[in-house]
Amino acid sequence: MSGVATTEPMLEATGVRKVYRTGALEVEALRGVDLRIHAGELVCVMGPSGNGKTTLLNCLSGLDSIDAGTVLVDGEDIHTMDDARRTEHRARRMGFIFQSFNLIPVFTALENVELPLLVTGVPAAEARERAAAMLARVGLSQRLKNRPTELSGGEQQRVAIARALVSEPAIVWADEPTGNLDSETAAAVLDLLREVHDAGQTLVVVTHDPTIGRSGQRLVQVRDGRVTADGAPRDILGGLPDGNGHDPAAGGRRGPRPRRTRPLRAR
Amino acid sequence: MVVLAVLLGLLLLPVVVDAVRHGELRRLAIRNINRRRGEAVLVVAGSMLGTAIITSAFVVGDTLGASIRDTARTTLGPADVSVQTLDVGQLAELAARLADPPVAGTDGVLPLVIARAPVATPADAAGERRAEPHGVLVEVDFEAARRLGSDPAITGFAGAGPTPTGDEAVLTAALADHLQLGVGDTVEVYAYGTERAFRVRDVIESVGVAGFGGGGGRGVFGAAQAGARSVLVPPGTLAALRATPSGAPGPAGSAAPPTGFVLVSVEGGVYESAGRIDTVLPEVERRLQGVAGVQVTPVKQDLLEQADAVGRQFTELFSTVGGFSVIAGVLLLVNIFVMLAEERKVELGMLRAVGMKRGRLVRGFGMEGAAYATAAAVAGALVGIGVGRVIVYVTEGLFSRGDLGIDVTFRFAAEPASILTGLAIGLVISLVTVWATSLRISRLNVIAAIRDLPDPPGVSHRTRSLALGAAGVVAGGLLFAAGLAGARAGALAGLPIAAFSAIPLLARLLPRRLAVNVLCAVALVWPIAVFSVLPGVMDGADIALFVVQGVLLVAAAVTLVTVNDEAFGQLAERLSVAGRGLSMRLGLAYPLARRFRTALLLGMYALVIFTLTFMAVFSRLFAEQAPRFTEEVRAGHHLLVESNPGNPVSTEALLEQPEVEAVAPILRAFPHFTAHYQPEPMPWAVTGIDERLLAHGVPVLASRVPEYATDEEAFRAVLADPGLAVVSEFFLQRGGGPPIDRLRSGQTFTMINPASGEARELTVVGVLSADWMFTGPMVGAGGLVDLLGPQAVPTRHYVRLAAGVEPDEAGVALTGRFLANGADARSFETIIRSNLSQQEGFIGLMEGFLGLGLLIGIAGLGVVMVRAVRERRRQIGMLRAMGFPARTVRGAFLLEATFIALQGILIGVTLGLVTSYQLLANSSTFGDSDLGFLVPWAGLAVLLAVPLGASLLAAAWPAGQASRIRPAVALRIAE
Repeated sequence: MSGVATTEPMLEATGVRKVYRTGALEVEALRGVDLRIHAGELVCVMGPSGNGKTTLLNCLSGLDSIDAGTVLVDGEDIHTMDDARRTEHRARRMGFIFQSFNLIPVFTALENVELPLLVTGVPAAEARERAAAMLARVGLSQRLKNRPTELSGGEQQRVAIARALVSEPAIVWADEPTGNLDSETAAAVLDLLREVHDAGQTLVVVTHDPTIGRSGQRLVQVRDGRVTADGAPRDILGGLPDGNGHDPAAGGRRGPRPRRTRPLRAR
Repeated sequence: MVVLAVLLGLLLLPVVVDAVRHGELRRLAIRNINRRRGEAVLVVAGSMLGTAIITSAFVVGDTLGASIRDTARTTLGPADVSVQTLDVGQLAELAARLADPPVAGTDGVLPLVIARAPVATPADAAGERRAEPHGVLVEVDFEAARRLGSDPAITGFAGAGPTPTGDEAVLTAALADHLQLGVGDTVEVYAYGTERAFRVRDVIESVGVAGFGGGGGRGVFGAAQAGARSVLVPPGTLAALRATPSGAPGPAGSAAPPTGFVLVSVEGGVYESAGRIDTVLPEVERRLQGVAGVQVTPVKQDLLEQADAVGRQFTELFSTVGGFSVIAGVLLLVNIFVMLAEERKVELGMLRAVGMKRGRLVRGFGMEGAAYATAAAVAGALVGIGVGRVIVYVTEGLFSRGDLGIDVTFRFAAEPASILTGLAIGLVISLVTVWATSLRISRLNVIAAIRDLPDPPGVSHRTRSLALGAAGVVAGGLLFAAGLAGARAGALAGLPIAAFSAIPLLARLLPRRLAVNVLCAVALVWPIAVFSVLPGVMDGADIALFVVQGVLLVAAAVTLVTVNDEAFGQLAERLSVAGRGLSMRLGLAYPLARRFRTALLLGMYALVIFTLTFMAVFSRLFAEQAPRFTEEVRAGHHLLVESNPGNPVSTEALLEQPEVEAVAPILRAFPHFTAHYQPEPMPWAVTGIDERLLAHGVPVLASRVPEYATDEEAFRAVLADPGLAVVSEFFLQRGGGPPIDRLRSGQTFTMINPASGEARELTVVGVLSADWMFTGPMVGAGGLVDLLGPQAVPTRHYVRLAAGVEPDEAGVALTGRFLANGADARSFETIIRSNLSQQEGFIGLMEGFLGLGLLIGIAGLGVVMVRAVRERRRQIGMLRAMGFPARTVRGAFLLEATFIALQGILIGVTLGLVTSYQLLANSSTFGDSDLGFLVPWAGLAVLLAVPLGASLLAAAWPAGQASRIRPAVALRIAE
């Protein structure tokens, strides 16, 4: 991949802490994460299941609240914004791709893709035109009028990618974008993401897939809610086959164990 | 009841067996219920209303029945058979024939004499008096009364002391309370043109023989009067009053003579004796053979049969009207289960994939449904008792309005058998719905279910549709053929059923949407048009038929709307220009995509609103037409003056009043009648008129025989020929609603003198559209006196007032002036408005009852929205992630609820208006007269605003929940 990273960070996270509470049970999912992402970067986040990758994505994108720390996007702390402003910020600056596509089943592919444009006030005709163009770009110009249930998994994910990109967001967050796809379709989706990045799009991809991990220009490894490595994929993954820092043949899950703690003091 | 029990057993047996034998099914059901307790409560709450409606109908029937049965205690006590004669001189002989020796099975006879007379208090210091215009004077031997039957306590005379003598009188509590009189006070009675004062020696309870007022009631509730308002006077008083007319106003000669009764008690107290009356009656009749002018009536048996009939009528009325709501409840149940199944589609698919057979899946789902249904039925039965109580309370108030003269003290009754029956019916309906829905759900495609995709259409499914369609067309055709031969339900439903069934067949030849549109249009037009196309078959349609009509119309309209709903989607798309209207786009997308579910919700709303609109039209129509109805009945007069038959107002006295310009005396009596639809003699009022009624105009006829060019000619023919009559469309009708059977011009009926048995056949020359003053048939006065003799009394006068006199003021003045005659003078418009207010009250009661159905719709919408939030949680999370504001999400849910409710309401209102217009303007279902048609704008505004507002309220909570969903949480759960 050949994205160009600038010197000023687009996103700067400092001391981000996130605790999940279920009754008396508390799980500290992020333990003081610091991270900087520059415009045009393709950052892959890897780590064992349950170690905080998705939580990191949610907290950095503003989908979820944090218990401590700051997340500055373009110099503004998104966690000090009220919900309405943060929502608007997401609409204008971010795009999302998820493992299970999360398309709206009652809308066609075209209608799904034009939604982010409509929500930011783009005129309907223009939104439709841009959505159609974006779907054509991901190779779905023949499937505009199809609903999600009429599309294959790969096609649905391409619709989701088109939806994430159509409003030209500053950052696109992708959470296991190939997790639900067979290897051939996954490769096609990965090619698509590469193309997107090559065009200058900032991408943060949470993945288990070492192939994706190796393909990025930067790899962040998360373990037990902490960033344990951040650098070139080649340096971090070394010779380990799964990219998660351990041999999958050894089995086992290395997530943080739930523990009972005292309630946290209010920030 | 046995059929119900068997059905219930069959439906519950698999549940019980599976619960015992298949632990995994039991666990699955219990855990699914426990998993979302709040929703389980909502499901039960939404499902229980059907049972509540059915149970409340039974409770109302029980109460009406029990209240009328109670009048056996308050007006008859031990008396079971009455022997009536106008010749009071015969009484001793009649009593002797029956008592010496006693008829086997009887335990006493009691002769007594009864006369009707106004009763009043003397004027107080301010000159004010209290009066009872419908008082009763009774001569009876108190000691003999106590000996009637085996229990003095039930006679009403147990503590009444000796028979009054001299100027003493004993009052029944009903009269004493009304006049506010006590022991030692003076009471004045007016009869046969004279008056007499008595000192009140005692006040006794109005029960048993003491409450006996001689019957002579009217209409369906004729015998259902509370204990009589009587003055028990010394023997010989009535003869003395008749013999010595004084200067008091009133023609002694025209007053109704006293009536003699011999009451016969059959062994067995108040209620137990009723079953033995049939064994005693033949002997009573045998012993009275050869005595002229005697009428033997099994009064208690008649009363108890009437109690049962009225109870059944009310149960039927409320359960039939409630049928709309029950059907709405069924739609809600189906909707809930379809949603449950869709929500658990993947889970169900997995269960099938791991080897669970389809039958077991059905039973597992059925078990969960049966648990909801059982809980809902029990709760519904309890709520139904409360609803029934409210209806009874309102009905009691309505009975006291208007001119029905019903004076029944309601005794609330909820028989355990009725409650169990209501519960069982509700449960059977719910279980059938649950099992049918479970069967439908279980036919899932395993792969599609696991992947959460729609089921692919299968060849076998298409073949089944075609086969079922063909069978439906044949069945509909056969029904229609039966309809042409006279079966109303077949005429109404045959064609629409055939049309609905033909959809899969025609869809093979035409584009599907075109096929659905064409056939649904047929199914929509026919149930409205049939009343005009086949009037001979459809006249006399009952309420149940209107329920069927409503279901057919709503089914056709909802189908038409849902197949053509793309228009709404296009509208939403236009409105979402530049980001505005995104809520609407989202809000409309789901109901437009989930058509089956949307159709069920629309059906719930439309069905109930259709009926409410129908009722609102009638309510407005009657309310607005009081002036027109008044003009039709008053024949150029202004006031109707009614007086007591024992001391009627004289025509001459009325003519002497300064306000009065002209007077037409009207004879009244209560003979028996038979007609082609009423073969058993039935008591009904009759009115005898003379030339004077026609002097200033004639009552307007809805139809008449063609021989007469005008209504006046028809009336003059009635005056000239005692074999002719004018009747109303409601003559000899039982219960409410449109006339079931009626006499038409040219048909005949028979009037019978109940005392002599003499009968006369009468031919109908004209039909009145309504009978606001309970006139009964109108015949010539001369002919009436020939047949009925002194039974025909001029207790009514039509009064024409001098120019400039205000009718209601004149009415008040005349009522006061003729207090001694028990006069009640009211303007025709006041009488009609009073009766209309009662009708409106009943319509209002029915509307309130149907409001329960609306509750089902609203609760259903609430339940559906709650479940929709859960079902779409992931999608909501995604929308929020994309930057959709919380208000857009909340707005989408509210708009979705508005869209469904508004569509349902508009379908219902449109159907209601079109159907009522068609029935009123172009059919004779509601009579031959042109009732006109008025759009009830105010009623429609309420019908639009209240359900819509309530629906929005019901959707507000789930909409709020949806807007508060945190995207990361929703997506994390989903991922």
